[in-house]
Amino acid sequence: MKTAEATILRGEDAILTPLREALQDVAADEADIHVRRRRAAVTRYSHSSIHQNALSDETHVRVRAIVGKAVGVATTNSLEVADLRRALGDAASLARASRPDDEWPGVAEPAPIATPQAYDEATARVDAAEQARGIGAICEAVAKAGYRAAGTHAIEVTEDAVANTRGVAAYAPATVAYLRALVLSDAGSGYAEDLGWRVAALDPAGVADRAIAKCGLDRDRRQLPPGDYEAVFEELAVAEILRIVSLTGLGGQSVREGRSFMSGRIGEQVTGDRLTLSDDALDPRTLAIPFDDEGEPKQRVVLIERGVAKGPVHDRHSAKAMGTRSTGHAADESRYQPGGHAGNLTMAGGRATRDELIGAVGRGVLITRFHYTNTPDPRAATLTGTTRDGTFLIEDGRIAGALANVRYTMSALDLFAGIELLGAQRLARDWWSSNGMGSVVCLVPPMKVRRATITGSSPA
Amino acid sequence: MEARLADLVALAASRGATYADARSVEREHEAVNVKDGAVESVMRTSDRGVGFRVVHRGAWGFAATDRADDAALRGIIDDAFRRAEASASVQRRTVKLAPLAPQRGEYRSEVARDPFAVPLAERIDHLRAVDEAAAGPNVRTRRSSVAAYRTRKRLITSDGTDVSQEIVESGAGLSVLAVKAGAKPAQRYDSRLTRQAGWEWIEELDLPSRARRYRDDAEATLDAPLAEERPTTLVFAPEFLALLVHESCGHPTEADRLLEHEVAFAGTTFMWPQDRGRLRYGSPHVSMTADATVPHGMGTFGWDDDGVPAMRTKLVDKGIFVGYLTSRETAGALGVPIAIGSARAEGWQHFPIVRMVNVSLDPGSFTYRELLRGVDRGLLLDAPASYSLDDKRQNFHFSTQSARVIRGGEIEGYVRGVSFQSLTPDFWGRCDAVADDWELHGFLSCAKGEPLQLMRVGHGAAHARFRDVPIEVRE
Repeated sequence: MKTAEATILRGEDAILTPLREALQDVAADEADIHVRRRRAAVTRYSHSSIHQNALSDETHVRVRAIVGKAVGVATTNSLEVADLRRALGDAASLARASRPDDEWPGVAEPAPIATPQAYDEATARVDAAEQARGIGAICEAVAKAGYRAAGTHAIEVTEDAVANTRGVAAYAPATVAYLRALVLSDAGSGYAEDLGWRVAALDPAGVADRAIAKCGLDRDRRQLPPGDYEAVFEELAVAEILRIVSLTGLGGQSVREGRSFMSGRIGEQVTGDRLTLSDDALDPRTLAIPFDDEGEPKQRVVLIERGVAKGPVHDRHSAKAMGTRSTGHAADESRYQPGGHAGNLTMAGGRATRDELIGAVGRGVLITRFHYTNTPDPRAATLTGTTRDGTFLIEDGRIAGALANVRYTMSALDLFAGIELLGAQRLARDWWSSNGMGSVVCLVPPMKVRRATITGSSPA
Repeated sequence: MEARLADLVALAASRGATYADARSVEREHEAVNVKDGAVESVMRTSDRGVGFRVVHRGAWGFAATDRADDAALRGIIDDAFRRAEASASVQRRTVKLAPLAPQRGEYRSEVARDPFAVPLAERIDHLRAVDEAAAGPNVRTRRSSVAAYRTRKRLITSDGTDVSQEIVESGAGLSVLAVKAGAKPAQRYDSRLTRQAGWEWIEELDLPSRARRYRDDAEATLDAPLAEERPTTLVFAPEFLALLVHESCGHPTEADRLLEHEVAFAGTTFMWPQDRGRLRYGSPHVSMTADATVPHGMGTFGWDDDGVPAMRTKLVDKGIFVGYLTSRETAGALGVPIAIGSARAEGWQHFPIVRMVNVSLDPGSFTYRELLRGVDRGLLLDAPASYSLDDKRQNFHFSTQSARVIRGGEIEGYVRGVSFQSLTPDFWGRCDAVADDWELHGFLSCAKGEPLQLMRVGHGAAHARFRDVPIEVRE
């Protein structure tokens, strides 16, 4: 893909050529540049009306200049060669005024990079009217059911590029299509969403039907007393657990500093043998690009295999410090902790249908998704959060009624130790990531677990 | 770029927009991070661009670009109108803005020493002294940072407003992680030490002393016994209460939650219009104020991004819920006059939405010593660790970085493992004293909106005492 296919993409040459030019005469021992251009069209609706409709087109450029082993970092949002040179000059002057980093690993060496696979031209070309039509279809279906709808239709086009003084030159376009619907009645709510790299993955009618069905069940809520319960976690709820696991325990630096559940336990059984978890940015279903912010090719990394901790992901810095090679997981340090970010998780699934998952529960809880989770004990990968938009009591293998939102507090490792059944994988993002806050994308199955700890309830 | 703002607004009017505004924003940021005595990173960032809003056919359209050429600027006009037309195709409510007189003027932060002018070597030396102060026998990782921020923006609206602002902020971060064989790691940190001020604020913070205190807290927590699990009296430090105010009062009083603008992501509220003046939010000791005029506040400005001048308003008065944070749109939809302008956008690329300004717990009349003397057995909680809220901001869970025992009015040793969950009115209803030692904290990253916007907000609080709070204790 050497030229821009359309006006939506700037294209490989338009982005990499000024980077190469600016790097030619950089006054530093080495340097690299990472570019992320993001065009986001976000249409939001509530009370079955569109209330916000925004298109933004922004370019983030991060340059690093290294003098000796001292590193300076500067950013700009311009791809003009003069502005890139100015940023490189700023970074070099910061490096000269700074102190050496004895663990500096050097910029990346050129290496083969997989072909980008997560860009779809038809998705990039979706316009505001088409987004509104999708929302309109949901609002119409929801109105017929006697409810009201809220949610988001978002189309993102990104172009990532890295170049450095050792000759790395990488470029990858990508698209993301996202549609969510929260259906509300006076008694409760139901939620559904579709996510993919093709707009064809979005099914407004299907999203509406799923959310309407859940909303219809969510009435006459009861409060659930605290205690341990069997549970079915749907895909969005599992993604929420994996987010905590990723941010607290899957980066090389967190392992090195003793903050991760893997610290001192690599090779040991840390959870049940039904959990196998990888980071696989080479699977296009995970919305991945094939290289990281340093220009390292992304590797498929098995993180936990049948419950045994296999090791974290790394950027170049954490890899050098721990005597290994980068796995291609450097990420924007203004958003993620340094030392590797596992943001494209795949959790092995199974064959259980939704009815089979629910049918396996004697008395327990069905959880659709969570709201605002956090981790009171990062080293144990403990998560606390409240459920929302579809929490149900299951009795004798059937949904027996709606529950007020419950607070769940439990170690992810203890939760996964109780996996009894797994369904088919689906692409999902947790509550935070759905909005871009510390993004983790998961190819994840629903699961039935032996024990989930409920520590409180919201009012009915 | 700035010179073209008036042209954009005029063109929008000529194309039939009933309202338009154009906002240019330039941001600069410098940060130095030191880890374990070595410079971890030095960074200088900048960006600039224009955001453009129209109300057309009764609906919003917004477009933003970081390119300054004529084609890009013309392009955002077309894009904004296209998006407004698309919005109008699925609309049951039309946008109605609360009236506002045209605003003119400039606002600048008060700064004694420009933080960008402080030599890098001085900043690094300062952090190295902080780093040395944090060293301890079991301290595994020490991190410290200083940062400077400058935002220049100009807003021109079709209502005749033309205002310019330059906001300068300075801040610091500090983190100490202690690790010991056989003990759970203990971390003490603070990243809410930012103010609208210059380098003088960094010096006033006395980071070396704070680093020693954090080191001592973390070291002592390693060996501390588990707390006793039972309802107890909790005294919160202002740093802890600043976050509690943010999460349990600031967010649920955001008026866009009433309109369900944020329901699919951030959620709604338990504080509805019919509750104003009636809902008992807390005890009579609890009053909370939103104030965009607080000196040095991270939520202080000349005008919000609707062009509404800085104001102050009561949210909770002697325990009763009385007010909301509003934008022109939400005030218009609710049919109320503008009591405070709180429409804010993170950057040029974002649509302004309702955000907190400085939302604070009003100071009380007790001294801190008097407040402690009223505690026979209890805990002092210094700073929050994990926190989690439900979608109505009613059911919350907080854990703490550091907890100390209060016995007979005196502070004794440390305990660990303390967290608590509660319902907002129940929690604030247990407050029986607020001290007079009010202090201001600054947050950099309140998250809300789609796409996500991280907002700077300020929160003031004093020590306060809460009776019979059930706590949880976990290993």
